[in-house]
Amino acid sequence: MKVTSYQFPVSSRRSALASWRSWRPWRLPLGVLTSAFCLLTSAFGLPLYRDSLPSGLIVLTYEDHRLPTASISLVCRSGAACDPEGEAGAAAMTAELLTRGTATMSGDSATSLVEFLGASFWGRATGDYIELGAQVLSKDVPTALDLVSDAALHPAFAPKELELARSRFLSGAQRIKDSPNRQVDQEFTRLVYGGLPYGHPNYGDTLSIPLIKREDLVSFHGTYVKPNNCFIVAVGDVNRADFVSAIERRFGSWAPSPVPRPSSLTPAYPDRIKVKLISRSDMNQTYVEFGHPGITATDTDMLSTRLMSYILGGSAMSSRLGITVREEGGLAYDVRCWFDRNVLPGAYHATVQTAKPKEAIAKMLHEIALMHDSGATSAELEKAHNYYTGSFPLAYSSSDGKRSQVLAMELFHYGMDWLDKFPDKIRAVTLDQVNRAAREHISPGRYWMVVLGPVTKEDLGLTDVEWIE
Amino acid sequence: MKHTAFNIQHSSPPALCLLAFGFCLLTSSGAAAGASTDLESHVTEFTLRNGLQVIVYVDSSAPVVSTNVYYKVGSYDESPGHTGISHMLEHLTFKHTDMYKPGDFDRIVDSAGGNNNGFTSENFTGYYEDFAKDRYELALKIEAARMGKCVFPDSEFESEHQVVSEERRLRDNYPGTELWEQYGATALLVHPSRNPVIGWPDDVAHYTAKAAREWYHEHYGPANAVLVVAGDVRPADVKAKAEKHFGGLKGVPVTRADYYSLEPEQHGERRITVRKRVRVPSLIIGFHSPGIHDTAEFFAAEVAGSIAGSGRTSRLYRRLVTELQLATSVWGGNSVDRDPGLFQVGITPKAESLIPQIEQVVQAELDRLGTELVTERELQQVRNQVLAGEYFQRDDISDMAYLLARSKILYGDWRAMESYAPGIERVTAEQVRDFCHKYLVPDNRTTGILVSAKEDR
Repeated sequence: MKVTSYQFPVSSRRSALASWRSWRPWRLPLGVLTSAFCLLTSAFGLPLYRDSLPSGLIVLTYEDHRLPTASISLVCRSGAACDPEGEAGAAAMTAELLTRGTATMSGDSATSLVEFLGASFWGRATGDYIELGAQVLSKDVPTALDLVSDAALHPAFAPKELELARSRFLSGAQRIKDSPNRQVDQEFTRLVYGGLPYGHPNYGDTLSIPLIKREDLVSFHGTYVKPNNCFIVAVGDVNRADFVSAIERRFGSWAPSPVPRPSSLTPAYPDRIKVKLISRSDMNQTYVEFGHPGITATDTDMLSTRLMSYILGGSAMSSRLGITVREEGGLAYDVRCWFDRNVLPGAYHATVQTAKPKEAIAKMLHEIALMHDSGATSAELEKAHNYYTGSFPLAYSSSDGKRSQVLAMELFHYGMDWLDKFPDKIRAVTLDQVNRAAREHISPGRYWMVVLGPVTKEDLGLTDVEWIE
Repeated sequence: MKHTAFNIQHSSPPALCLLAFGFCLLTSSGAAAGASTDLESHVTEFTLRNGLQVIVYVDSSAPVVSTNVYYKVGSYDESPGHTGISHMLEHLTFKHTDMYKPGDFDRIVDSAGGNNNGFTSENFTGYYEDFAKDRYELALKIEAARMGKCVFPDSEFESEHQVVSEERRLRDNYPGTELWEQYGATALLVHPSRNPVIGWPDDVAHYTAKAAREWYHEHYGPANAVLVVAGDVRPADVKAKAEKHFGGLKGVPVTRADYYSLEPEQHGERRITVRKRVRVPSLIIGFHSPGIHDTAEFFAAEVAGSIAGSGRTSRLYRRLVTELQLATSVWGGNSVDRDPGLFQVGITPKAESLIPQIEQVVQAELDRLGTELVTERELQQVRNQVLAGEYFQRDDISDMAYLLARSKILYGDWRAMESYAPGIERVTAEQVRDFCHKYLVPDNRTTGILVSAKEDR
């Protein structure tokens, strides 16, 4: 791979962007297009680079030299949504086993190396991606890259490591039943998505985990972990040119191939409120989660929906739900609502934990319906504008914050100007757009609802609902 | 999440405890040099006439400022029957002052694009607002109001009392919480660390507005607080603004009880079994461990804890999870902040029936640590982890503010955080062996077990 060495000015955001706009890689002959190069000066004046290898592997380098540390993530754009039928947890177990040994290094050896350096090295999965990550002192970046590249390219999937991982995953799946919040969320997820890609637990369940075989992990890796389906994010004390060269040396021969995509079917709305009640007489509080299908992270209404949802239930203390249920009602410690941000259509969730579920649910249903029918006020929108634009630097100030922002930017194809333009985009959202989002993306009366606690159907005071047995 | 309450002594994973002491001098391992040697140049410290201690930490790498006020009060200071009152008060101090009505704090902070929260721990109660740097004075204004001007009308008390009761119930419904609380109260007979920070359920149910008012007036003055401003600020500007907003408050010195030597010696094993509706059992094993004044033993305990139970290469993880496959997770470490506390090991057994065997393996491994010398590589790994952890922590100005305040409150000087790595560096294999031989013995042990209630088996 050839890496272009263009260095746009970084001292001025305006000039950097102007230069970027004038750079039109698509005008070059294809054979020369070995590296599409962009530069964004971030909100803090730090340079963010995006390079691409001929294989399609994208490299995002966010230079931040204030500390001698770096975090490196290899992100594969296929996660638990790509789990084969009946094998929930396959993606997550693949991610886990990528860190547990390669053709030339055992899992224990890799762990010994990492822990001796005081570093960390992890594999994890979400519905949308698996991530192989490392956090190291910058002097150890070459070691981290060796580990990540070896794991991505030559995983061993050793049977012994598979069984150890299976034990851990099974224990984790069983523990969900010991955590009412997580149990409710898992049931809610199943109801909303049914058999669609996000409908199973990312880390599997007690039925699927025992069925996962080594061949399934080999297959998942062989199918999805391809350069044209991956990107690398480096944040911290790294030099972009050196880093991209190092990536090229380690990943240069990685061959691309077509990658299948999960079903993008949109989950269905229930025609009325459908409630699954899980009675637990041993508890002293009831856990409630309800909602319905939502939108994708790339939906044109995403920002207006976020602002609306923030006004409605973004804070347990100062949102409409928070004021009504917690601050005025004293009914709960935590109450909130949100829309998922996923590649495929996500869900809209509202949750509360309370000793008085009848009162809390009634207030929540009322407030949400009110938002749907009457919308937000201009004062509320101004507050939401201020919150999102003002808190943006906060979300971005740590290395972890930078990493997650850059990861989301690339995952959702927001474009290299996303971080720079985000405050302006937020400010541009009008009250009409917010209120339209409330009307179009909230559907009162068409909720899936899960209730877990020491209650009966009669205790909840819900009328005109269908009970799921 | 607003208003978190956590118990450092009972719930912090050991790795975090190990690193919680902050960053310090670079003394070994050939790692990148110089990260913390310049800490002094980033910190300015002064005290207002009313006794408010102020620490300014300058980090201009991002245009943000974290403003923190820590009060020297927590569950450490509470008496039987009133456990959790510090946490209850923390909730109430978000409500009403002479200038602000309920909800104003959060509305103001949200409108200005900030984050705010409060938390209560064993040794202190903290509040913070994180803002873009051009509006951090707003945080000083809010915190000055919280410091001197809170009011607690009876009419508002009950609603927040219900919120706190719901927070208490949230914990009740997690079986692990009961194990931790019962285990802590079994291992420690009289030291306040035996009480959950959120308070025992019956105490929580009986708070009164009068008790909250008294607690506030006793502890929430400037002479009992530390203000830490961290981020893209100029110390002179902070000083002027601190004088402006806090200088008019009257400071009354507060004497804090010292329970360092309160806990009696243990002369025989203690055991507690909690039976709940659980699918996955848990096991905690703890040993009384020396406090920070017993310097050499304290640092030896820190190193021993890391070698025994921190990470997948730790001795207990390798033995229990990798080799014998009796458990699915293991952690361990020395959970001591200042006073003598507990060296602890936590295990997730694969099955309840394996617990007796696991207990034997754990004690055998600890006995081995008490008879054989650990290796130089093991010692060096701990040093490396401490060093790296300090750099990672410094990445976040809120973490830095916490560490500075913590050192100031627990040890009297923020510079105490710089003594941790040198302390670890000096630990020898012999000291680790001697610590384990003296403390990690059955007569000094408390074992807590969480298993399923019979009807659920």
